[in-house]
Amino acid sequence: MKGTYLGEFEELVLLTVGILYDDAYGLAIVDELEKQTGRNVMLSSAHKALVRLEDKGYLKSKMGGATESRGGREKRLYELTHAGAKVLEQSKELRNAMWNQVPKIVWEGNSL
Amino acid sequence: MSQSTPKNAGPPNWAISFFRRFCNDHLCDAVLGDMLELYNRRFTKAGKRKADWLFIWNVIQFLQPFALKKTKKSQNSNTAAMFKNYLKVAWRSMVRQKMYTSIKIGGFALGIAACILISLFIRQELSYDNFYGNGDRIYRAYNEFASEGEVNKWTSFPAPTAGIFKADFPEVVKAGRLIPYPGWFNAGSNLFRRGDQVQNTYEEGFAYADQSLIDILQIPMVYGQTENALADPYSIVISKTVADKYFPDEDPVGKPIILNDDEKTPYKVGGVMQDFPNNTHLQYDYLITLTGLEFWEGEQTSWCCWNYNIYFELQPGTDPKELETKLLAVRDTHYVGHLEKNGDQSAEEVKKNHFFRLQPIAEVYLYSDGIHSNVETGDIQFVWLFGGVAFFVLLLACINFINLSTAKSANRAKEVGMRKVVGSFKIHLVRQFLAESTLYSLVSFLVGVLLAWIGMPFFNQLADKSLTIPWLEWWFIPTLFGSAVLVGILAGLYPAFYLSAFKPIDVLKGSLSSGSKSSRMRSIMVIFQFTTSVVLIIGTFIIYRQMQYILNKKIGFDKEHVVLIQGANTLGDRVKTLKTELASLAGVQNAAISGYLPISGTKRDGNPFWREGKSKEDKAVGAQRWYVDSDYMGTLGMKLVDGRNFIQGMAADSSSIIVNQAFVSEFGFENPVGERIQNWKPYTIIGVVEDFHFESLKGKIEPLTMVYGEWGDVVSVKVSSSDMKEVLASIKSVWDDFAPNQPMRYSFLDESYARMYEDVQTMGRVFTTFAVLAIVVACLGLFALSAYMVEQRGKEISIRIVLGASGRVIFNLLTLNFIKLVFISLLLAIPLGWYLMKSWLEDYTYRTDITWEVFALSGLMALGIAVLTISFESIKASRMNPIKSLRSE
Repeated sequence: MKGTYLGEFEELVLLTVGILYDDAYGLAIVDELEKQTGRNVMLSSAHKALVRLEDKGYLKSKMGGATESRGGREKRLYELTHAGAKVLEQSKELRNAMWNQVPKIVWEGNSL
Repeated sequence: MSQSTPKNAGPPNWAISFFRRFCNDHLCDAVLGDMLELYNRRFTKAGKRKADWLFIWNVIQFLQPFALKKTKKSQNSNTAAMFKNYLKVAWRSMVRQKMYTSIKIGGFALGIAACILISLFIRQELSYDNFYGNGDRIYRAYNEFASEGEVNKWTSFPAPTAGIFKADFPEVVKAGRLIPYPGWFNAGSNLFRRGDQVQNTYEEGFAYADQSLIDILQIPMVYGQTENALADPYSIVISKTVADKYFPDEDPVGKPIILNDDEKTPYKVGGVMQDFPNNTHLQYDYLITLTGLEFWEGEQTSWCCWNYNIYFELQPGTDPKELETKLLAVRDTHYVGHLEKNGDQSAEEVKKNHFFRLQPIAEVYLYSDGIHSNVETGDIQFVWLFGGVAFFVLLLACINFINLSTAKSANRAKEVGMRKVVGSFKIHLVRQFLAESTLYSLVSFLVGVLLAWIGMPFFNQLADKSLTIPWLEWWFIPTLFGSAVLVGILAGLYPAFYLSAFKPIDVLKGSLSSGSKSSRMRSIMVIFQFTTSVVLIIGTFIIYRQMQYILNKKIGFDKEHVVLIQGANTLGDRVKTLKTELASLAGVQNAAISGYLPISGTKRDGNPFWREGKSKEDKAVGAQRWYVDSDYMGTLGMKLVDGRNFIQGMAADSSSIIVNQAFVSEFGFENPVGERIQNWKPYTIIGVVEDFHFESLKGKIEPLTMVYGEWGDVVSVKVSSSDMKEVLASIKSVWDDFAPNQPMRYSFLDESYARMYEDVQTMGRVFTTFAVLAIVVACLGLFALSAYMVEQRGKEISIRIVLGASGRVIFNLLTLNFIKLVFISLLLAIPLGWYLMKSWLEDYTYRTDITWEVFALSGLMALGIAVLTISFESIKASRMNPIKSLRSE
């Protein structure tokens, strides 16, 4: 598939899918992202990221959970795949490793 | 917005169905659900209106590749693959048949190059004077005098007219005057120098103008202000080019300037204007102010003399036609009043026939045919002519393409059959051939643009223009690309439908041979091509003959070996001594002083003439009055048919006059010599000069008179010696003695004469070029067709040769058909050419006859070229070794 590089927004979407666990669908992800980051997120960008992440194999999806307010339409529910979980972990480890290499003095200096 | 859902609360239905149409199945329901949920949330929060808009906005946001239907894409990939295949096949057939390909593309490219050049030319012509700030409100005034079927139009008005128009009519915001007539005091050309230098330089492009004229035109200034550049008396506005030449790197405003060495009246630079752009009919480098100027006493208020061109800026929304009728009040009070005061009999006629007209400034350049003025004008007919020629050349090229494509159809027939057998529909084949012809067209456009670029300098010379290819204009490349696709599709339509209609069973069985079905269509197109070419050849011949006729016609004077020395007016009275000294030089036959010359654009002086004492009763006869000296007719070779010439120094000759034959017949004199006539003063006719042409041969010879005067700015020298160079050198040394600070300027009478007919020459050159182009394109097509026929009938020819046919029989067999077509073209082209050229010649009062040799010659030429083209392949065929084409069977 396309490259395995994970963009910042994509990473946030992946994490959100993880947070929402069994009710991770487009609008809920937008809401959660807005709540967590305080950014304004467009429905289309969320869906775009979801499609891309599914293409990359980090997510899988199924239909289900129709409600009245959706005009009886089903949701596309997303779920982290094994690869998705792994890539998040890798990303976190990479960050931690890099954090640890930053000399303490930098943080102290900054806090002045 | 329809709201037909039972749930009245829903978002607009059309937005939903639009979304459904473009969104792919994977996302459609899920996203729609999300959007509806969002919609309902917003509906309760912000109301229906806002929710609706936001819903639509959401839908639009999903117009992105990731959300679009994939089904389309899967279909696309097939089409794309097919297109790739089409292009590949097209490329292969292009490469396989190099000759046909290069003829197809070469012919096309030639046509396209011609079209590009001519389109740029037309664009330039149409762009004249349409860039002024208030352009749609700026008008030029002209006079129209219509009597007895003859309409006379001219642009000059008396000095006070502009002021009266502005004062009397609120519609006129500004009125500005211009004197563009060379020779009118300092208008035209002058010796020019800075006030602080002594060396004079000859400069051209002077005109007198009002301050309000530059206001109207909003001429941008480099130094000084438009509002007051010409406001002071004796101020002068110079162009940036001139400023750069004489005042490099300084601000010339306020600096003194001396014209014609006249230190008593210095001028002062009032401003430096941007050069007039190429596409305006006003081309001046120096504008001398009219402020405070009076050329003689009472001139500014007198209605006697018509020398001022007038430009108006009108109020927004003024109807120029309406204003024209209002302006007539000025005619009836001021002009008629002036005539009546002088007892002029023409007052009644003026009331009936004289009108003031307004012409939008953007139309001055192209639509001034028949209006006498001396500003630069073009001709809308030229635009049409050029455009027509370009169109025909392109058409010929397209026909070549169609002809060759259908002729070569046999080679493609099997491919068509095969494609159909494996499942192509007709539409696919049409698409294939259209793609192919578009490819050809694109390549041809590429080559054509290149050709146009190479041919541009030549074309500029041809049409006397300075065009460039506008590579960087935003529209240029897209327009070319668009035209390429359009032309490709148009030229490909017929072949595409023709080729795609083959029945696979016929083709594969082999019963369809040589694409002969369309041979009638092809014949018609060949006939069309050759008819066009022959008409162009005939046109070329006749234009050239008219040119020769003009240049060699007995014009009533001898234009050979006459040197015109200009700018002699600065010598003052010493010009007489100069003349005597020049006349006494070895190799010089004669010399004369006079600014009036039988070349249009030189000094003119129209006057009304009456029989003596009849100025109050008779109608005036308009005639030129030229000041000439006693050697004038001898120098220019005019013939006296009656009476005598002036005698130098004879006092009585100050009231003598010599008239031409046209003048005599206008007055109806039986014995003209001795008759007394008058304009402002009485004259006695002492001689009659044979009619000579002093204006273009387009018009007839008008009445003309000559009176005695030994002054003027031109000294004409008739050279008898054959060594022109040597004589010129000695003339120059004499001149330098007289005017050391002024380089001698001279021209030859015959060259100036030829320059009068530049438009005919241009037309001749244009016709020749495009006739050649048309023939080349037509011949390319014919050549390819004949080569193809030879190829098709290869076996037949071989068998004939084996059975004993001679080379000549084979040759006849192959050429006769084509020659028949060329003959038919001749039959069509000759009457057409005759008719067209006859109407062209009608513009000229003096014209060459159209004789049968022209047609015979054109016909022979076309036939000869056609035969030559065909025989190349035919001879090759008749001499080939039959084994070569037979052994393979």
